Amino acid sequence: MRRHSKYTWPWLRRFNLVGQAPLITLIVLCLATALMTDRFISPLNLTNILVQSSIMAVIAIGMTFVIIGGGFDLSVGSTVALAGCIAAMVMVRFGLVAGIIAGIAAGMAVGLANGLIIARLGVNPFITTLGTMVLVRGVVYLITGGAPVGDEGLPPAFIAFGSVRFLGIHYLVWVPALLLVALSWLMQATPYGQRVYATGGNREAAYLSGVAVERIIASTYVWCGGLAGLAGVMLAARLQSGQPTAGEFYELTAIAAVILGGASLHGGEGTLYKSIIGVLIMVVLGNSLNLLNVDSYWQRVAIGAVIIAAAATDRLRSHR
Amino acid sequence: MTKPAVSARAVSKYFGATCALANIDFELFAGEVHALVGENGAGKSTLVRILSGVHQPDQGEVSIDGQRAHLGSPSAAIAAGIVTIPQELRLVQSLSIAENLTLGDPPVKRVLGMRVVDRRRMRAAASDQLAQLGLSLDPGIRVDRLSYAERQLVAIAKALRRHCKILILDEPTAALEMREVERLFTLIDHMKREGAGILYVSHRLDEVVRLADRCTVLRDGQVATVARRGNFKIADLIVAMTGGLEMQPSDTVSEPGGIVLEDVSRRPDAIRLRANEVLGLAGLLSSGAGHMLRRLFGFTGERIELRRNGRLKRIASPADAIRIGIGFVPDERRLGLIMNQSIRDNILLPSLDVIARGGRIDRGEGNRLVEQMMELLDIRPRHPELPVSALSGGNQQKVIVAKWFARGVGVLLLDEPTQGIDVAAKAQIHTLIRKFAKRGGGVLVRSSDLTELTLICDEILAVHQARITDRLQRSDGFDEKRLHAAIGG
Repeated sequence: MRRHSKYTWPWLRRFNLVGQAPLITLIVLCLATALMTDRFISPLNLTNILVQSSIMAVIAIGMTFVIIGGGFDLSVGSTVALAGCIAAMVMVRFGLVAGIIAGIAAGMAVGLANGLIIARLGVNPFITTLGTMVLVRGVVYLITGGAPVGDEGLPPAFIAFGSVRFLGIHYLVWVPALLLVALSWLMQATPYGQRVYATGGNREAAYLSGVAVERIIASTYVWCGGLAGLAGVMLAARLQSGQPTAGEFYELTAIAAVILGGASLHGGEGTLYKSIIGVLIMVVLGNSLNLLNVDSYWQRVAIGAVIIAAAATDRLRSHR
Repeated sequence: MTKPAVSARAVSKYFGATCALANIDFELFAGEVHALVGENGAGKSTLVRILSGVHQPDQGEVSIDGQRAHLGSPSAAIAAGIVTIPQELRLVQSLSIAENLTLGDPPVKRVLGMRVVDRRRMRAAASDQLAQLGLSLDPGIRVDRLSYAERQLVAIAKALRRHCKILILDEPTAALEMREVERLFTLIDHMKREGAGILYVSHRLDEVVRLADRCTVLRDGQVATVARRGNFKIADLIVAMTGGLEMQPSDTVSEPGGIVLEDVSRRPDAIRLRANEVLGLAGLLSSGAGHMLRRLFGFTGERIELRRNGRLKRIASPADAIRIGIGFVPDERRLGLIMNQSIRDNILLPSLDVIARGGRIDRGEGNRLVEQMMELLDIRPRHPELPVSALSGGNQQKVIVAKWFARGVGVLLLDEPTQGIDVAAKAQIHTLIRKFAKRGGGVLVRSSDLTELTLICDEILAVHQARITDRLQRSDGFDEKRLHAAIGG
């Protein structure tokens, strides 16, 4: 008998400001920073922001798949390091393409393991991916001996990929841009995407409507792992080596960005482009605190507060 | 004349622009059972929430024992002696009965000067309390081990620990079996004699007629009528609730066609469903009738064999059943709907592969299908973008049926299809079921409401202890006594 006066005029929903909160936050943040320092809108700084966001954006797209499907993935940071190191190792011996494929495949393998354990065995996603996060990091140190991989001997084309531009925009930025277009189409226009939303919204109801929920859930982790693998390859190109310590705390930034972008930790809600806006908010925030010469210790405090604020908004929204 | 234990005077409540209650007067006296009935959206829940302190009235006032009272929060209502037992019981699942009963103020003793919970006294107090209500449960059992009926009784026992002048029961029998209903009624009688006032909210009008001393009927946020015991019959209540609409018995017996679904794996009393036929499964909650239905949909994890239109098929999951044209409406709406999604997305979910062209969903086709379904099933309001959580229970149920109509299934399995929905929506769903069968579909429907089955079915199978104990035909006229005997009720 609950009455929703909010829906008395459904066309009002299209002008719903709450839905655009992430974009508005980003614009306000940019305007405020631009007013306080003129270094913000310099081409160099803006390019910097995009390049810095690109790797996290790829991870956040994968994380959005998992979170829409009602899950959670803490292992992406370790997967970034694993993929970067494996890609570098394979590349030195077997060439560029083999290296990239190996890196992405390593990420997909971690995702598949997560997915099967979570979907088939029904283990809690938090615990499962906490486990793989530690385990995978251990594997990275084992295979590298703790030292950076491929300092010399990486193909020049790979190094170039980490710094060269195409049509004035870094290759690194093209990757998430193209992924965003293709995968947004996948989520919005194909049966697969609708089934991911349905499974995250109500797993049992989706199952009773004929959705193969276990396969759908497992697939979201494969996407997440594979994209984290790709991000690891991109990071290796940028760092010109595979770093075993790379990607630490990336999982937290990615989750925070997705939640900032309006996805719900309860599952069934979220949009890829808004998650990328979430990433931009995090990066612009860090950038503006830097430009304003805020102490780096205080920066951590501010970013932590933003993460809590995002989670609190999620909670308030689900209570509405 | 005594003052009412609780009363509402000229109470109105608005949610945004909608008026949920308009100028309501309501009185509940000590020692009476007062039933509150009405269709979904009539204002029952709003009134209950005002009396239990969840909502505050926009106009008018609430009085307790003739004194004006401000119930600003649920705890204020409890302090005033008004205790509500909602449908979703508020017990801590992982604690024992005794711990739940004494939650908040457990008996304590001092050990070395520290206050420690006195486990022995806690158990004794809990045992006493359960015994007073005539319940023989071990207070040490964890609450999550109990049946719903037992948990409900524990919740009532917990309510009675506090000073309870008024007990509000919101749809208390919705999930109970007949035997358990009897136990609840005994308890209500007991409390009434102790002098408590009981507000009984229910969709089950037979219970209301049996139990209530007085009955208030709400319609569109207003009091349609208040009647005393002996002055109301079920038919009168329905007229008051709906403003004149009456239940129609279904049209004449349809001519059954060929067998559309046959259960091959359990031979002796196999279920055989024909085209143009509505087959009923009558049984109590634990009879196994619900299991039979879920089994045919592949929802029990068993691998079974079915003959569908003469062809042998194996089924291991709902996806398999849907592929061969079977649809299932579960008894709980949360199993049928994705609440945060729109009407459209819910209706189209089982049909995504049907409306996909080259891996891509054909939006136009989907929209046409949804529009057609909303028209056919009269789903209101007609906004496909509305989240289903904003719909009334009856409209939600219609969305679940629409999912299978959109998919074009030939067999519908329905589990309690009209549970907890109002009379008008019930009649619409009955008509839809008959129409579906008339156009060549086969329907298997389980219901604990025998009157409903006799209204819509061509044949009724009585189920008791997971076996079919009797078969009754419409052409012989359904004998309700024989049916009752066969289901062991």
